[in-house]
Amino acid sequence: MLRTDEILSTIQMLHAEHLDVRTVTLGLSVSDCAATNVDNVCRKLREKILRRASNLVRVCDRIGAKYGIPVTNKRLAISPAANLLAGHGVGAALQVAQTLDEAVRECQIDLVGGFTALVHKGISSGDAIVMESLPWVLSSTQRVCASVNVASHRAGINMDAVRQMGELLLKIADATAAQRGFGCAKLVVFSNIPEDNPFMAGAYHGDGEADAAINIGVSGPGVVCSALRRRIQLGGQLTLGDLAEEIKITSFRVTRVGELIGREVAAELGIPFGIVDLSLAPTPQVGDSVGEILRTLGIEKIGAPGSTAAVAMLTDAVKKGGAFASSSVGGMSGAFIPVSEDAALAEAAAKGHLTLEKLEAMTSVCSVGLDMIAIPGDTPPETIAAIIADEMAIGVINNKTTGVRLIPVPGGKAGDFVEFGGLFGSATVMDIRNAGASAAFVRLGGRIPAPIQSLRN
Amino acid sequence: MKTRFPQAYVLNVMADDRPGIVAAVSGVIVALGGNIDACSQTVLGGYFTQILVVSFPQIVEVADLAARIRKSAPPGGALEVAARPYMAPPASAGRGPTERFVITALGRDKPGVIHRFSAYLAGKDINIVDLYWDCAGEDFVLIAQVEIPKRWEMGLLQADLDEIGREEGFNVRVQHENIFVATNQLRLYGGGHR
Repeated sequence: MLRTDEILSTIQMLHAEHLDVRTVTLGLSVSDCAATNVDNVCRKLREKILRRASNLVRVCDRIGAKYGIPVTNKRLAISPAANLLAGHGVGAALQVAQTLDEAVRECQIDLVGGFTALVHKGISSGDAIVMESLPWVLSSTQRVCASVNVASHRAGINMDAVRQMGELLLKIADATAAQRGFGCAKLVVFSNIPEDNPFMAGAYHGDGEADAAINIGVSGPGVVCSALRRRIQLGGQLTLGDLAEEIKITSFRVTRVGELIGREVAAELGIPFGIVDLSLAPTPQVGDSVGEILRTLGIEKIGAPGSTAAVAMLTDAVKKGGAFASSSVGGMSGAFIPVSEDAALAEAAAKGHLTLEKLEAMTSVCSVGLDMIAIPGDTPPETIAAIIADEMAIGVINNKTTGVRLIPVPGGKAGDFVEFGGLFGSATVMDIRNAGASAAFVRLGGRIPAPIQSLRN
Repeated sequence: MKTRFPQAYVLNVMADDRPGIVAAVSGVIVALGGNIDACSQTVLGGYFTQILVVSFPQIVEVADLAARIRKSAPPGGALEVAARPYMAPPASAGRGPTERFVITALGRDKPGVIHRFSAYLAGKDINIVDLYWDCAGEDFVLIAQVEIPKRWEMGLLQADLDEIGREEGFNVRVQHENIFVATNQLRLYGGGHR
């Protein structure tokens, strides 16, 4: 028989602290949809998505109701679109993207990831088509998300691709200028992209995966923050070790919720269960914030000295609790610090407490990178590329995933306020110091060789 | 339920709570050469209550068994005892497959809430296997662990309970027990339930 205190503590976590399952993401290989004629590609793609994904939303809602936990987002991640587009052109890329957009809309799925190119060592013909088509794809579709992996621990950093991404981000921003460059919010530039990440915009279904898999992203910043506050209110001589323990226990419980729901959704759909991604994923909702956790840990102004240590402790404690809760931990599994999507981080950036450089330092100890950061629309492409290169270097040298999701706001100047809406939140355009001062470095191009740590055999 | 000896009885004991009651009751069972096969007890508002399944190698008169236990009362008040032969299987058998859920309700206390709620469950053939009710000031917390027949659609049950909650002024939720197992215990699932 369950104990009363166990039931009450779970009820508090689920309802008073608004725990949800942030996303159930269906990973789906679409490599069998390749064809020489793009109309055939689109027909096969649409048929496969409708066949495998049309029940996803209904099943998630039913199982969510059984446990009293909402599944907030239902998403699809396909194998890289670049594999389908080799031998085709940009027009075909657009047609494929529109087919994806339409098929997931019919299934009531929120977003589809996997308009992806893997170019960490070189750019194949399919990859080139994906990259070239991004401004059109991201401006003419609603639900399609893209990712480009430009670096890996084993290959180093493809600086030609990085340079192209600097230019492409500006083109995408221009193509979506009416929405303040919002197209860029649907694109992540990665190093060491995970093959089973359920979170958008960077989700794609890797080549090492089965034909389909169910991957889960849990939420939890609000729950962790409340648990810490409760622990602090209980009083006593608390150290950071005690607070790390509290985070660990909360992470265990949050992860269990994800695993329980994920396994049941997978069983009902007849699809293998993949992973639970432990990442603390904030939303713009007040209280559901990683920044708020840092404040609760005693960092009065986020970005102040100590912020990096605090986020390191948080991420490590989350991993320890989550790893004990589930034997299927994967994806990115860390703490996200997406500036516009996290109310406390957005506020710290607006007040000037949090700078790009400090964010970069924080990303070296947590996943996942420079995320949802608005920058001036006149930032030179080489500078955007150089920001990407710095973040990729952190990933490559430390053998971890890092990503960059920058939004050059057309016409936007440092200090301007931009609203993206919904889960994407709002942000103040950040100042880029020393803009233009790394152009010569970026123009050299080529590949930054893989680090010595990659020689492990 | 399988008991150690063939002659099984079910006992109920109520008393003012104090040290020595369990020792007294179990002492009588031992003296008669019997065994306690299952037991559950709780203390509420200063009162002790205990239900036991006990078994003996020989037939024991239930009136005699109850009288012996009453006589064993430790100082501080009488023991109220009821005894009857244990009949297996229990009356709950034959209700078809069920699943364990937890119903929680929170709201402003007033007379009749538990009755309104339990009358609805009874009408749906939903068995309450554990019930907890507590008032903190003017507010109450109700936790019922229940067995819900698999034939019911959970969304409709929740909608009915929401309706009752709206009328009576409380929030009510019905959730599968595994969510509480998964978030509190080392294993992911409850015993045998998926």
